Amino acid sequence: MTFLQKVKNFVRSRSIHVAYVDVGSCNGCDIEVLACLSPRYDIEQYGIFVHNNPREADILLVIGAYTPGWEEKLRGLWEKIPPPKAAIAIGNCPISGCLFARPHTLVDPPVAKHIPIAAQVPGCPPRPTEILSAILSVAPAIFADYEVKTK
Amino acid sequence: MAISLVAYIREFARWEWARKFLAARTAPLVIPPYFRNYPELTGKTCTHHLFCMMACPAPGAIDVIRTPEGWQPRIHIGHCIRCGLCVEACPNGVLSSGRILESMFRDNTRLSFSFKIDVDLDKCMGCGNCAVACPVNKLIDAQMSHGGRASTDDLLLKLSDGKCRVLHVEKCTGCKTCEHHCPNEAISVARLLEAVHAPEEVP
Repeated sequence: MTFLQKVKNFVRSRSIHVAYVDVGSCNGCDIEVLACLSPRYDIEQYGIFVHNNPREADILLVIGAYTPGWEEKLRGLWEKIPPPKAAIAIGNCPISGCLFARPHTLVDPPVAKHIPIAAQVPGCPPRPTEILSAILSVAPAIFADYEVKTK
Repeated sequence: MAISLVAYIREFARWEWARKFLAARTAPLVIPPYFRNYPELTGKTCTHHLFCMMACPAPGAIDVIRTPEGWQPRIHIGHCIRCGLCVEACPNGVLSSGRILESMFRDNTRLSFSFKIDVDLDKCMGCGNCAVACPVNKLIDAQMSHGGRASTDDLLLKLSDGKCRVLHVEKCTGCKTCEHHCPNEAISVARLLEAVHAPEEVP
C-alpha cells in the first residue's frame, strides 16, 4: 500500500459526509438521526457531517418503507452520490416495512430491492448509539483501499 | 504581565492538554441496562398460550416454534419494534426485556385479554367457512357439517338464516382463524388489551 493510499484511508475514516433520505416513514427515525447531532451523542466529534446533499455525500441513510412516490427518484438520488459510497437502512421500515407492511398498503419494502444497502440498523426507532456505531463500522470497511479494490 | 503570559504558555504547551484538546470524545456510547431492548428468553417454560403473538403490534415480529425442548418464542429482529407488550402479555414470564418484569411484579399489574367478533352482515354470504374453521367450535361439536350448521347452541359461531351469528363470544381465544378463512373479509376479530391492576385471578 502506498503512502498516498494510507493518507486517503486516514482522511476518509475521519471525514464522512452523510445525507439522509426519508422514503416514507413515521418520522421517528428522523428524530433519532437528529438526536445524533445533539451534544449528548455528538456525531461530529467522529468526523461525521450531516450535509444532506447527495452530490457531496459518502453515506446515504435511508429511512422509511418506500412509498410509491419514491419510485425512480431514490435510484437517481443514489446514482448522484460519487463513489466510494454506501447506503445504510435506518430502522425497521427499510428492512421489513415494520408496521406498514400490511395487506392493502402501497409501501414496497425492503429498500434493498431498489438500491444496494450496505448495512441495516434494526429498531423502531434504533437508538442514536446504534446508528452511530453502524456508520462508524461500515464507513472504514467500505472506503478503505478504495482505489486498490476498484483497480 | 510577563509572568502570567509565561504561565499561560506553559499551561497550554503541555502534551496532556494538547492530546485532550485534539482527541477528546464523549463517554463511550453504551446502551443502558434499563433500556427496553429486544426480548430475551428467561428460561421459563412456555405453555403455548400465544398471548405474545396476540399482543404484538408489528407483523411478523414474534412467533412461537416447537423445539426439542418444547415451545419457544422467537423474536425477528428487523420486525420487532421493542414495545415490550409480549413481555407483559406472557402469563409465565418466558420473555424479559429491560425492567418490565420487575416493574410488573412491583406494581402488580397484568395485561388482560378479551376478544370481540364483528360480523359485517352485508358482506357475509353465509358460506360457513368461519364456523367450520374455528378450533373452539371443533372442540365443542366435532361433527359440524360442511356449511357451518349445527344442532347445538353452545358454539362460538354458527350459521343461521344464511348468516354467521356469534353465540358465545366469551369462548373466543383470539386466534383469528375465522378472519383468515373468510373469503369476503366479512368477519373480524378485535383483540382488546387491558392493563389491570392487582388481578384477583391469574389467567
